[in-house]
Amino acid sequence: MNAPFFKFDYFNSDVSLIIAFVIGIAFGIALEKGGFGRATILASQFYFTNMRVLKVMFTAIVTAMLGLYFLSVIGFVDLSLVYLTQTNLLPMAVGGFIAGLGFIIGGYCPGTSMVALATGKLDAMIFVGGMIFGILVFGEMFPGIEEFFNSGFMGTVTLPSYFNLSYGLVVFLVVLMAIGAFTAAEWGEKKMAAKTGKEVL
Amino acid sequence: MKKFWLNLSMNRKLALIAIVFGVIALFGGDPYGGTTIKINEKDIALSTVGNSDKVSVTELADWIIKDKSDFELIDLRSDEKFSEYTIPGSQSIPLPQITSSDLMRNQKIVLFSDDDVAASQAWFILKSKKYKGVYILDGGLNAWKEKVLFPKAPLNAGKDELAEFDKMKEVANYFGGQAQTDSSVAETKQQIKLPTPNLSTTKTVAPTGKKKKREGC
Amino acid sequence: MTSITKTITKALEKEDGHVHEHHEPKSYSNPYLVGIGLGLVLLAAFVIMGRGLGASGALSTIVAVAVNTIAPEHSTGNNFYSEYIGDGSTNPLMDWLIFQTLGVLAGGFLSGTISHRVFKGVEKGPRISTRMRFVYAFIGGGLLGYGAKLARGCMSGQALSGGAVLNLGSWVFMMMVFAGGYAAAYFMRRQWT
Repeated sequence: MNAPFFKFDYFNSDVSLIIAFVIGIAFGIALEKGGFGRATILASQFYFTNMRVLKVMFTAIVTAMLGLYFLSVIGFVDLSLVYLTQTNLLPMAVGGFIAGLGFIIGGYCPGTSMVALATGKLDAMIFVGGMIFGILVFGEMFPGIEEFFNSGFMGTVTLPSYFNLSYGLVVFLVVLMAIGAFTAAEWGEKKMAAKTGKEVL
Repeated sequence: MKKFWLNLSMNRKLALIAIVFGVIALFGGDPYGGTTIKINEKDIALSTVGNSDKVSVTELADWIIKDKSDFELIDLRSDEKFSEYTIPGSQSIPLPQITSSDLMRNQKIVLFSDDDVAASQAWFILKSKKYKGVYILDGGLNAWKEKVLFPKAPLNAGKDELAEFDKMKEVANYFGGQAQTDSSVAETKQQIKLPTPNLSTTKTVAPTGKKKKREGC
Repeated sequence: MTSITKTITKALEKEDGHVHEHHEPKSYSNPYLVGIGLGLVLLAAFVIMGRGLGASGALSTIVAVAVNTIAPEHSTGNNFYSEYIGDGSTNPLMDWLIFQTLGVLAGGFLSGTISHRVFKGVEKGPRISTRMRFVYAFIGGGLLGYGAKLARGCMSGQALSGGAVLNLGSWVFMMMVFAGGYAAAYFMRRQWT
């Protein structure tokens, strides 16, 4: 048995849609349990009062990264078959910045707005409407910005290949960085709580 | 040790576990090189000996004329050679890129190059990567030219063979070639021209021709 | 190994085992445990499908299909729309990300219902009117939709999934999201605090 299962044709694309639904349910539960269905919690990340977003996100990245790394090293997963988005450095940086602005102004990101919508948040509904509008604007502008969209093309490039480090070393550094960030977050939250006199949500 | 562990808060325990895994990863090696796939040598040897993984050029010509679309025809030669001439309906995947192509493992794949060598190499690579229906075009493009595009009339042909040759002429004309009768061989030997690829019959000249839906978000 | 799983399950029980009043929303779980759960979901997507999670892609497909239905000749000439519509051999709505997003809606509702956290409401700080909150939500949504498309993915597709496979562009994206958020946080403080 080799993984990724879909790439080895263990099931067809119709079955993959059922799997998509099931994985989506698990994704939705995890986001909801993390408190990501509430814009006030998501936004408090940017005021250093509640660092849940950072904690959940980096823990998830570290968990999936370690799992994928070890499953690949033992030969179970063919890592070259796992999809990597191509890198276009400048459009991604600019897009990331715009998305960051949208995050703090709108209070959600695409995935979390779905959870907020499912748990009855009216502002999330408006947010999703705004996203659809933003995508439509992007689509209509696309012929004009296509050149920029495709600029800075670097192919599929990973941190280890770009910095010429071993994959294992980068994995180790990411773990260290995450734990450093968690320690700082815990410390910062305590400081902020003492300052504002409010308990962390 | 046990006491130390029990006294840690859960968050610290998790952090410690993550660090341990991270340190192991330092010495774990390259995940891209680690994939091992079992090859069933017997299976591969059998199909090679039995010629069951080969498709003859006349068979392929027949498929194309009948507009069968249940197979992917792959030209393994360089891009330049591909744009010069290729078998109608083929797509260009030069041999070095065969592993990074987006061919599916359940597709029927017919490989060809000028002769059998590159096709055999690609066949083995794909087979070892668990592609199921991989076939080699027997004799490659050379055989295609010889038998489909410019078939020679059989010497001292009987009635049946002549009828057969008439059919081959039609096939040759279909693909823009020309059957070679005895006399014309001598005359036109120098000026056999390959038909220019007909864009309407060649599916995938540009990568935009067959756009798959993107996988990312 | 079993002792580790035991401690994790025990901690989970502790987290959810608090005695709550009925219909009182439960407090959210330990972020690190939720993170591990989310990471395992992501890992499952990698192992089963060979791809990560996503969210904005589903909306893009819906937008592209809508444009294609209303003005087909308009969308075919546009490389952005045509990429989501595909070559016509398959129904673009029978898409992995759309089904995954439907699952997120279902999963969010399910989890919220169990923890008594589903109720109609508006998420905002005390110093801002609901109407202004809606305006900001629309603007923010528009910026996120636009930015996510420009960056070829959103927080789930780029930051989370790409982050775990150590994709260079995804890490750049993630850092820039935080940069953008912190840069504008001061100006948005009336909305949230």
